Amino acid sequence: MILNRRSLMTTALTLGAMKAFPGLSYAQARPLVFATFTGSWEEAHKAVLVPAFRKANSDAAIVLDPMLSVDQIAKINAAKANPPIDVMLHDPGPALVAIGQDLAEPYPVEKSAYYKDLITEAQEPMGPAPFFQVVGLTYNPEAVKTPPTSWADLWKPEFKGRVGITNLNSTLGTGWLVEIAKMRGGSEANVDPGFKAIEELKPNLAAVAANPGALATLFQQGQIDISPGNFNAIQILKARGVPVEFVAPKEGAIAFKTTIHIVKNSPNRELAFKLIEASLSPEVQTALMNSPYLIVPTNSKVAMGGEIARVLAKDTAELKQKFVFQDWKKINEQRSTWIERFNREIKI
Amino acid sequence: MGTAPASRDVTSYGMGLAAPLALFFLVFFVAPLLQLLWLSLHNDTAGLHWGVGQYLHFLTDPFSLSVLGSTLLLGAEVTAVCLVLGFPIAWLYQRVGPRLQTVIILIVLLPLLTSVVVRTFAWIVILGRQGIINATLQSLGIIDTPLKLLYTQFGVVIALAQVQMPLMTLPLITALGRIDPNLDDASCSLGAGSWRTFFRIVLPLSLPGVIAGCTLTYAAAITAFITQSLIGGGQMLFMPMYLYQQASTLQNWPFASAISIIFLLAVLAVVSVFTTLGRMSRGYGGA
Repeated sequence: MILNRRSLMTTALTLGAMKAFPGLSYAQARPLVFATFTGSWEEAHKAVLVPAFRKANSDAAIVLDPMLSVDQIAKINAAKANPPIDVMLHDPGPALVAIGQDLAEPYPVEKSAYYKDLITEAQEPMGPAPFFQVVGLTYNPEAVKTPPTSWADLWKPEFKGRVGITNLNSTLGTGWLVEIAKMRGGSEANVDPGFKAIEELKPNLAAVAANPGALATLFQQGQIDISPGNFNAIQILKARGVPVEFVAPKEGAIAFKTTIHIVKNSPNRELAFKLIEASLSPEVQTALMNSPYLIVPTNSKVAMGGEIARVLAKDTAELKQKFVFQDWKKINEQRSTWIERFNREIKI
Repeated sequence: MGTAPASRDVTSYGMGLAAPLALFFLVFFVAPLLQLLWLSLHNDTAGLHWGVGQYLHFLTDPFSLSVLGSTLLLGAEVTAVCLVLGFPIAWLYQRVGPRLQTVIILIVLLPLLTSVVVRTFAWIVILGRQGIINATLQSLGIIDTPLKLLYTQFGVVIALAQVQMPLMTLPLITALGRIDPNLDDASCSLGAGSWRTFFRIVLPLSLPGVIAGCTLTYAAAITAFITQSLIGGGQMLFMPMYLYQQASTLQNWPFASAISIIFLLAVLAVVSVFTTLGRMSRGYGGA
């Protein structure tokens, strides 16, 4: 092969163009791109979901591109006609934003083998929920001798200066506000009682963390002894030797649906569907339920086991009874007003 | 030699060599900035209706203005602490032997070699309820109950001052190094005491370094999202977190863009005050 300047230049330009305009080469065949979340989510999906998907689909190429929900929405919005992501994963708030901006494809329910086995709360036609995140009470068993049983325990005088909460930036913070508002007669549309309750909680508040992750640090440093917390985050802390325990309050643990969606105009629609099917399958959900992942399954065919059966629910019936689901459509309507109010009123 | 071609003017300079960087800035800095400005001039989150509503909202809202004010104040406090603590180190550096100089420069640079997140986490351990400060004070019997240091303005200022200290010390070391040591001796031999020498000779001559250090520290302190949120917590709101809240949690990009443009202008105003002071100090130093 003779390399002259012209052919070298052509090759360089072509390669450069392919690099600069990936759409050129991706238009033909691009691996399936799955935007999962960072951290433990990515680890779990890399170890369980991806191998299961590849085994069932003759080693189809797949790329994990972990990022926050907001970034997924921004990236797809920037190239709606030829999205760089095929499958997206969302918390309840961002999921509604993505659906509202017409970024999600309806899930082909009639084609799905597992959809009908999901518990009713997880059956979302615009993208089913393969996992739940569960929020309950977290406490330090070394400092809190009698385990708390209710959200109301946070207001006990013995926890003066020992309670931690997070602000409303996170799903956890907003969901918790709605729950305590409900406990005092409010609802998703009226969180006034919740704000009053936080006002009364002030003497007990040691910290308002900027994000749920910061709560973990506060437990480690002995800054707080009790707080609302995410089941999975607590299990990770516990595994690292931090003295924390999780308990589902008697009012019910708050369950957030993590939904998975086929991106509209995805060039890999069929593979995207297959990946979501894999995530709904009892095999994958059982593997993810076991240690060290401890992700709460949504497929009713999965038999609960391990830590989840011990702390949360033994079967789907108990799960439905012990979990509370919130109406995020209503929550999203007023969330910005609440965040603004929280900014102004909650100073400790 | 005959008529030589018009000799090239050696003082002229070609723009050609700067073009790649200029292009880079144009594409990756100026263009996004213009996009930000464009977006901020919309009244609705979808970006369909033009208007200055976002700016009006911010500038007429006492709460938003108080966030801006407390952020600018935070920067001033951190800069003051850095200056007061950093100047003696820089001064010392110019007066010790080469071996100690290496030690000082290593101590100054060492924080830059670890990430901001790690440095900030160290401060959580230091300031916490069972942290080093509280444990020491309690074991000495000075306090009974632990002091609240984490999630306070004091904690944020101290942590930021340590995290941003190199940005202050390095320009100061350079500026002090440029001062002729003979000037000190001359001042002393003419009868001025050490303090008088310091205020009349050393400080004015080091002003360019002070201004440079203050500008860098200030800009870094007010935009330090990680340290502000980890040490300040969720109820202490500064501009970077306010911006993040609007853009990320609420998806209100036009308002978030307006906040960043206002923040940018406020910072530019402060920096231009520093630069004006710097220009004046140059005149002073030369006089």
